[in-house]
Amino acid sequence: MTMPQTQKTLTVTIDGIRTQVPDGTLVIEAARRVGVMVPHFCYHPKLKPDANCRMCLVEIEKIPKLQTSCSTRVADGMVVRSSVPHVEAARKSVLELLLGNHPLDCPVCDQGGRCDLQDFSHEYTPTVSRFKELKRVFPKQYLGSVIETQMNRCVSCMRCVRYCDEVMDAKALAAVGRGTLTQITHWSGNELECDMCGGCIQICPVGAITSRLSMYDYRPWMLKRTETICSFCGDGCQITVQRKDDQLIEVNSALGAGRNNGDLCARGYFGYHAGAHPDRVQHPLIRQPDGSFAAVTWEDALEHVARKLLTLKSAYGSDAIAGLMTARCTNEDMYVFQKFMRLVVGTNQIDSSARYGYVNGVRALRRVQGTHRWTVRYEDVLQADGIMLIGTNVHETNPITALQVKQAVKRNGATLMTLESLLPVRSTVSNITTLSRHHLTVRNGRFDAAIVGLLKAVCELQLVNAEVAERAPEFVQTIQAKVAGVSWQTIHEQSGLLQRDVEAAARAYGQSRRAVTLVGQDVLRAVGGEAMVTNLLDVQILTGHLQREGSGLGCLAEENNEQGAIEMGVTAEYLPGPSPLDETGSTAAFAQAWGQALPTGASATLMHVLRRAKAGDVKALFIVGENPVASLPPDAAVTDALDALDFLVCQELFLTETAKRAHVVLPACSAMEKDGTFTNTEGHVQPVRQAVEPVGESRPDWEMFSALSVLMEHPIEYGDVKDVFKEIRRIIPGYGLLGPASTPQPVNADVVARYVDGGFKEDVDRRYTLNQPTPESQGGMTLKLLQSVYHSGKYSTRAKGLMEVQGEGLLQINASEATRLGVKEGDAVCLSNEHGRATVSVTLNDRVPDAVAWFPEHFDEPVRPLFSLTVDPQTHVPVWKTTHVTITNVNDRPAGEGEIHDVMSF
Amino acid sequence: MKTFDPILLKNMQQPGYTGSLAEYERAGGYQALKQVLAGVPPDDVIDLVKKSGLRGRGGAGFPTGVKWGFIPKDHPGPKYLCCNADESEPGTFKDRQLMERDPHQVLEGIAIACYAIGAQTAYIYIRGEFRLGAKILERAIAEAREAGHVGADVYGSGVTIQIYVHAGAGAYICGEETALLESLEGKRGKPRTKPPFPATHGLYQKPTVVNNVETLANVPHIVKRGSDWFASIGSPPKSTGTRIFCLSGHVCRPGNYELPVNATFRDLIYELGGGMRSDKPLKAFIPGGASAPFLTPDHVDVQLDFESVALAGSMSGSGGVTAMEEGTSMVWAALRLMEFFYHESCGKCTPCREGSAWIVQILQRIQNKQGRREDLGTLTDVCGNIGGRTVCAFGDAEIAPVLSTLKYWRHEYEALIEEAETLNAGRKAKDIPVLSVS
Amino acid sequence: MLRAKYQNVIDDLLSRYPVKQSALLPLLNLAQKEEGYVSQAAMKEIAGILDLTPPQVFETVTFYTMLSLKPIGKFHVQVCRSLMCALVGADNLLGWLQKHLGIGVGQTTQDKMFTLSAVECLGSCGTGPMFQINDDYYERLTEEKVGRILEDLRQTGDCAMKSGPFLL
Repeated sequence: MTMPQTQKTLTVTIDGIRTQVPDGTLVIEAARRVGVMVPHFCYHPKLKPDANCRMCLVEIEKIPKLQTSCSTRVADGMVVRSSVPHVEAARKSVLELLLGNHPLDCPVCDQGGRCDLQDFSHEYTPTVSRFKELKRVFPKQYLGSVIETQMNRCVSCMRCVRYCDEVMDAKALAAVGRGTLTQITHWSGNELECDMCGGCIQICPVGAITSRLSMYDYRPWMLKRTETICSFCGDGCQITVQRKDDQLIEVNSALGAGRNNGDLCARGYFGYHAGAHPDRVQHPLIRQPDGSFAAVTWEDALEHVARKLLTLKSAYGSDAIAGLMTARCTNEDMYVFQKFMRLVVGTNQIDSSARYGYVNGVRALRRVQGTHRWTVRYEDVLQADGIMLIGTNVHETNPITALQVKQAVKRNGATLMTLESLLPVRSTVSNITTLSRHHLTVRNGRFDAAIVGLLKAVCELQLVNAEVAERAPEFVQTIQAKVAGVSWQTIHEQSGLLQRDVEAAARAYGQSRRAVTLVGQDVLRAVGGEAMVTNLLDVQILTGHLQREGSGLGCLAEENNEQGAIEMGVTAEYLPGPSPLDETGSTAAFAQAWGQALPTGASATLMHVLRRAKAGDVKALFIVGENPVASLPPDAAVTDALDALDFLVCQELFLTETAKRAHVVLPACSAMEKDGTFTNTEGHVQPVRQAVEPVGESRPDWEMFSALSVLMEHPIEYGDVKDVFKEIRRIIPGYGLLGPASTPQPVNADVVARYVDGGFKEDVDRRYTLNQPTPESQGGMTLKLLQSVYHSGKYSTRAKGLMEVQGEGLLQINASEATRLGVKEGDAVCLSNEHGRATVSVTLNDRVPDAVAWFPEHFDEPVRPLFSLTVDPQTHVPVWKTTHVTITNVNDRPAGEGEIHDVMSF
Repeated sequence: MKTFDPILLKNMQQPGYTGSLAEYERAGGYQALKQVLAGVPPDDVIDLVKKSGLRGRGGAGFPTGVKWGFIPKDHPGPKYLCCNADESEPGTFKDRQLMERDPHQVLEGIAIACYAIGAQTAYIYIRGEFRLGAKILERAIAEAREAGHVGADVYGSGVTIQIYVHAGAGAYICGEETALLESLEGKRGKPRTKPPFPATHGLYQKPTVVNNVETLANVPHIVKRGSDWFASIGSPPKSTGTRIFCLSGHVCRPGNYELPVNATFRDLIYELGGGMRSDKPLKAFIPGGASAPFLTPDHVDVQLDFESVALAGSMSGSGGVTAMEEGTSMVWAALRLMEFFYHESCGKCTPCREGSAWIVQILQRIQNKQGRREDLGTLTDVCGNIGGRTVCAFGDAEIAPVLSTLKYWRHEYEALIEEAETLNAGRKAKDIPVLSVS
Repeated sequence: MLRAKYQNVIDDLLSRYPVKQSALLPLLNLAQKEEGYVSQAAMKEIAGILDLTPPQVFETVTFYTMLSLKPIGKFHVQVCRSLMCALVGADNLLGWLQKHLGIGVGQTTQDKMFTLSAVECLGSCGTGPMFQINDDYYERLTEEKVGRILEDLRQTGDCAMKSGPFLL
């Protein structure tokens, strides 16, 4: 459905109720507005009308036959009747026909109790059926490891197939056969391969497609429901967690709920068991002299931590203590943590996992346009006529943001431009680049060259906005001069892009009326990420999009609360707000608000903290949910740093590689076990609600900081978590309305003016100079760690449903590389480089470019030793997820090569 | 009946006529196309066809010129013509003859239609089983392209007309115009909900006309001989011209007969068809393909035009006339057709998908002497719940054989049910075999 | 693989349509002609050629009764069983075939030579009873003709009794 062009209003009378609706409204939607519920199966607001179930027939005056209200648009003066006897008779008849072959197995059907067929039957059908023939019987099928189909229950409404195509763009489901023998399946007996979004299960009006995770474990009416926010990626989907007693049964999302409008991804739909994994830390643990952990009481554990921190503080000063925090925590946890670190411990050495790259984007946004958030939101993506994705891999990293892009393209006809490091190859797992009008496959991770190419095209094709040229001539001329100094040849050599392709994309972007740019991990988590985002903002300025209504740039958060980590002040350079830590004005304001002067010591980023720990300058480290041992490659020497500490305290759900090295482990609640708020990548502050009881003795993180503050005789106390949020709102005025979508932050015109009038000069030379390509090893391949749609960090690998879908890391290469290497699906290969060697199994994926291999980062343990670390000199972002390797077929390995130590073999 | 000079079958009735381009041209072929491309404005061609009263020969009988007129004139993008050669209606086999015996007549009609509606591309959607017809058409298109009758810049007029043959793969429903479009787009052939109509949102969502083979074959003759001539034949003003009637069943001489539509079924069955093949008299006939309700010997003097057949309670449909002799079981005949419809239901709409299976199951039971007294009520009711309740006309079509045989030969159903009751008296319900549809 | 053998045919087909997917049925017909049925490999390859997913190809295959997902005999005998042919002896024809071939409907002879199917209307109602064998129609059949046709096909792989262009 395209956006209604004219907002004409029409009058319609439904069952005697007159109402006004906008032009283009379907009769069934008009009826719902006046409280007339027309029964239906195949209609769904997300899908194009198909009018196949014939359940929603209504009488429309002056039309002889009954009409389907799901496909008929309201005409002015239309008179509709939905409850006259012959309409009801038609509905009864549809139900009689549907029930004819239905197995009536409601007692063992997971949908029983929330089934449209059951409900409508109850309302319309007599209890005796005239159908006395033999029923058609289909055997039940497993569509892969987590989905079951019972086609005898199917009403052939095709909602699943249509959703899979129209919304997900996966086209993984097939309606097979014809007539009454039509069945929903994948294809030709093959195991289902798709995005595993669970959308088919959610949208099925009956029990034909169900989840195997909790099959037969419940009856829907036994379930207690909690509305909360998903804790995987930055999209921040609203989910309904359903439990029977304290057993997690299901997660789904209601149509209209949250920013996701009821849509979910594999992680949201099938990943809810992550926090329920049996390996959860149940009790506070203190390391014993023999190196083992002993479970202790909360009192003992907290007193031990408080005492140690106070001792070290008095012995070595406040800056001998530092804190690291995961961006998966709630805003409240983060806020209290930084306040605890600053006021109780007395240090500014706090950093979070936003350091892995998200901070690059925020820094650029703040510098150029004076905001720390997107200036657009999902609604603008939907209304955009031009969308540019840069290094996002969005359908895997931020699947719900990807749905907005898909809708914008498929329904509203937006032009999509993609600069991505994958090929636009279609399969039954969705691939956003297949929807792209201008797809540019960026090679060698050289997004810097690609972006300079865009700027060059903008300048050379006269796409520079006239007003901008007039208002900021020096800015425009400087950039024109800079890009003139970079040849298309260089851009091509570095990024693999051709001039005409870049020009076509730039033209489409420049000519858009509402243009949205989304930037992803390939840019944000790269060396020079801040510079690249800044350059993309230069594109925005030059084309006049920066300050245009509906246009804007957004950086995609990989973790659920990276935005919150910035705004709550747990990132080295920021206080809550975020207010810059290095600004006297803001430190003074905080001192006043908190009634205490802020520590004067320097802040420290993650890499600084580790370096200082290794050097013995930091003696104690307080790590909340972060796992640097597994998040950085061996040459980051994290273990050396941790082993040098006098005291390591970890607040964790699991005994991670990092927590195993701790002196004290404090069991923390998962997001499903506590209240609070998350701020999604768009900047929406959303309520997190406790859905299940905390596992063991685990407690919300903020409570532990608060308890420690009391024991450290510097109490930071709150009645409950709501009081924390109240304080946040007092500190950051207007923070999080928690209501419907808030309006995005506007671009700060003063900041833009400062930037174009001279600010840009500060680093313009560096930003427009392309580094020479890093030399590749001869005949080698680029190995890249990549996010999968089925996982989020390492946390999701604890979720049994997701492990069923993807339970191990396989090396993905394309078919021609496989041929070249002489390997086939499932074969073991050896990866080696100067850092080490690893043996992994191969899977074929034709969206991987030539000379590139992908490996899912969630399972990176065996290959991690092959990588080495680079730290961004400006923003201290640790970058390491790309390396060069030689791949050999294990069977071909020549003898005598065994002297290199095998780091991991399967 | 007066002797009549055929229009569409004329060429092929000449001894030795093979349908080659040379022979077609010798018989005056492509003159009409030359004539319109020499400067008749497209709108005038549409007017001409409107005035001729030509109506669709595929079954629905919609006025062809009016259909062409629905194509938006100012549409900037491409427009399409689809020639519906998916002839699949049981009892109908005229298009096959037109395509195999005189393919250029069809191509010329297509070319003129393309010009009239402003389409540069036409697809002939031919049913997959007609391999021979497809080959003949392919060859004819190559000949016509070679001779410059179709292709780019036809006769130097600047008009481009490309014609392609597109073969189906076995699905009756693809004869329904929107299902045809879906199939041509490479999808499952499921009818679309209307509106929007093909005239504005057809093939690839572009303005599209879908016309039957016979309809298009008439067009060159109308252009050559004028609308008045055409409109004077048959039963003006509503049913004009001739139609090819396909005669099948228990007659002496089954085959295709081209007749002006003011002829009667008697003329067709008894005069041209030579009457019944044995001494058994006519018991029933289907007047317009499997989708048309059965008629009785009382109706043989009804005229063949759309209105007269409708008045008699059936429809002229696709022109397939099937005669059945005394002794033919009407329950069996209805079952055979119902099995066809069950097999061909695309499965989109609940009433047709589920209803067709249910009706087949009931009819099979009755036929196999396992009928029950309440079955006839259920049959009538289920049919009533299909008719008018589906996206396309298939639903209305499939109930025609059942309802019409129930109307005229209810006693045959009742007799079988009575037999079943006698047979099954004393048998426990569980001992009565149950049938399943295959 | 189709591409290796029929690249020109495929290019010609693709040139006929503004939207690639339209070439799906023609390519499936080609695949079936090549292998006698539509194999999984063919469906995957066609999906690749047309930028579709295999399920899209698969669901289309299953809608059309002429396309087979399983290998069938060298000669596919398809008997029209619809009413018009049934009135003039389609059921007898099926009986003759079952007798001559020694197989039932839906079965294939041991030598993989013949597969027998009963199908719905083939548009040959005036010339029944009839069947289609592969691309060809055989009409106005009698038991004697059926015997000769099967024999010819078995012996020579062809039969002169197939229908030419529709005769009046």
